[in-house]
Amino acid sequence: MSLRVRLSLILGSAFIIIWVLAAAWMLRDLRQQMMFSLDQRLVASARMVAGLIDQLPPLTAKGEEAHFSADQFSVPDGMACQVTSLRGEILASNHKHDGAMDDQQSGFRDQTIDGALWRTFTYNHGDVRITTADRHMEREALNQSILLAASAPVLMALLGSLGLVWIGLGKGLEPLNRMRDALRRRRADSVEPLQVSGLPSELQPLLETQNQLFLRIGQALERERRLTDDAAHELRSPLTAIKTHLQVARMTDGAVREQALEHAEQGADRMHRTLEQLLMLARVEGSLSFEDGVQCSAEQVARQAVQDAGGGDNRRIVLRLPEEATQIYLGMPAPLAVAALRNLLDNALRHGGDSEVELEVQMAAGQVGFMVRDHGPGIAEGDLQHLTERFWRHGQSGGCGLGLAIVQAIVQRCAGSLKFDSRSDGLRVLLQVPARSGH
Amino acid sequence: MHVLLCEDDDLIASGICAGLTAQGLTVDRVANAGAARAMLQAAQFDVMILDLGLPDEDGLKLLRRLRQQGIDLPVLVLTARDAVTDRVDGLQAGADDYLLKPFDLRELAARLHTLLRRVAGRAVNVIEHGPLRYDPSSCEATLAGQSVDLSRREQALLQALLQNPGRVLSSEQLKDCVYGFSDEVESNALNVHIHHLRRKLGNSIVETVRGLGYRLGPAQAPEDSAS
Repeated sequence: MSLRVRLSLILGSAFIIIWVLAAAWMLRDLRQQMMFSLDQRLVASARMVAGLIDQLPPLTAKGEEAHFSADQFSVPDGMACQVTSLRGEILASNHKHDGAMDDQQSGFRDQTIDGALWRTFTYNHGDVRITTADRHMEREALNQSILLAASAPVLMALLGSLGLVWIGLGKGLEPLNRMRDALRRRRADSVEPLQVSGLPSELQPLLETQNQLFLRIGQALERERRLTDDAAHELRSPLTAIKTHLQVARMTDGAVREQALEHAEQGADRMHRTLEQLLMLARVEGSLSFEDGVQCSAEQVARQAVQDAGGGDNRRIVLRLPEEATQIYLGMPAPLAVAALRNLLDNALRHGGDSEVELEVQMAAGQVGFMVRDHGPGIAEGDLQHLTERFWRHGQSGGCGLGLAIVQAIVQRCAGSLKFDSRSDGLRVLLQVPARSGH
Repeated sequence: MHVLLCEDDDLIASGICAGLTAQGLTVDRVANAGAARAMLQAAQFDVMILDLGLPDEDGLKLLRRLRQQGIDLPVLVLTARDAVTDRVDGLQAGADDYLLKPFDLRELAARLHTLLRRVAGRAVNVIEHGPLRYDPSSCEATLAGQSVDLSRREQALLQALLQNPGRVLSSEQLKDCVYGFSDEVESNALNVHIHHLRRKLGNSIVETVRGLGYRLGPAQAPEDSAS
């Protein structure tokens, strides 16, 4: 059910109920007033007849022929009038029916005469009783016509307001309809912002929120697309190298062939590294558990990372361990800590030129810090923010652009922190991870 | 055919160089857009292979700039990005062909030949010149139906001449085509190859234009050349 129909039904029912109650109240009052007026007419007519009788020559009380002509009283049409002596003798009557009106009691009475219901008023005036009467039927007919006359405008007003409610709701809900149409026109996969002009202030925030949401979804999709694009690029490049060199090996012989095969192998190694890094990143970002139950001290982690770094060529790494490093245990799975630290060391070896790379283990309250320092040229200020982006690479480095992204993912997973400090005498990277409490 | 390869990945570049050289093409390789521009200024190339992910400048930007400068060298774009928009962007920037990594070296060579053929306005790959028929993609030459055995350098020389009929090519241009830009060339090496070509395809196949260079001349039947 549309909002318009729904609101129309609610408002329409309320209108109908209110109008019907008001009309019923009004008609009841009207009827009462009318009955009262008609009664007043009976009274006035009786008094008028009394006045007329006073002006007539005095009645000879015993005269048999002392009959008035009822026409002399000029009572209104439809009204009966009867004048009787106190003894009950009818002196005058314009009542053409056989039955006489009972006038024993003065005042108003309802009585049935000849099968018809009459309203009578008896008035004692001197030695005569004057009774005026009108038919209930006539009163009802009058009442009916007044009711009809009064209800027609009420009905019209009710129908009119119902129509206006329907039209007004349609107008009022138009902005919503425009928004609905705009939404309906969109393709299901569209993330373009919605353009609806002239929205009321209640809907404006809705539209803005909606558009911001579209914008964010669009950006997320774009990021996702670029990521898969980058991954495709990173995997296809070594694959291309492998395939090309294998084809060259097939076409040639001798030294050229050997060279090509060697190159193909290099390509395979590169692809292997990229795949390992990608898998590592996926594992760290996923919910896979790295907990192997083995507790590693800060010293063990540092030594293991140094051993793994540089593909085994770790002679340039200088390790500085404080004595308590053997006693401090890390509050994170050892494989993750080693992987993060090894990636930092690999980067330092790669970008630090031929000078040595220093790894210093620092102890702070509840935290273990691994400071990796190289003596290379450092990194431009503007590039610092890109460091942990996936597939971002500094210049022509041999890495696959995933190392620091992995470290960042590990840090996020284990509530650690990663800080870069680039100076002209080299880049310092501080990896802080929580220490295990209770040791 | 003298090919300029613009590719930043050393491993891929060495593979393409070796593969295309093995198929009789002359390849010069640069690793970035700046070097590519410098190279295009310095030497004559028949076709360019352009990788889009260059370290100093986006490949598409380089391509657009080249086209703006009026350089109409056929360009084959090489990329690992396969989104349709990437391809459309590449072609709109002025690329003549598009090859997705990883590719087959034979396909790459075939596409390069097709590009050259289209530039020359030929519908088929084989170049016919009088009784001489030369197929650049297979590097096979026949003279009046007889197969002629040509060395790699001779093939490159013949192809350069066949692709520029009527034009005078300087000995520098011919050296570029035969040896590439970077190869060390002895001063009379080109003359040796011209001499061999004349011996196999007739004296008049290479006409010397004094002071300017060389020009393609009519091919002659073997019996004429024997005399």
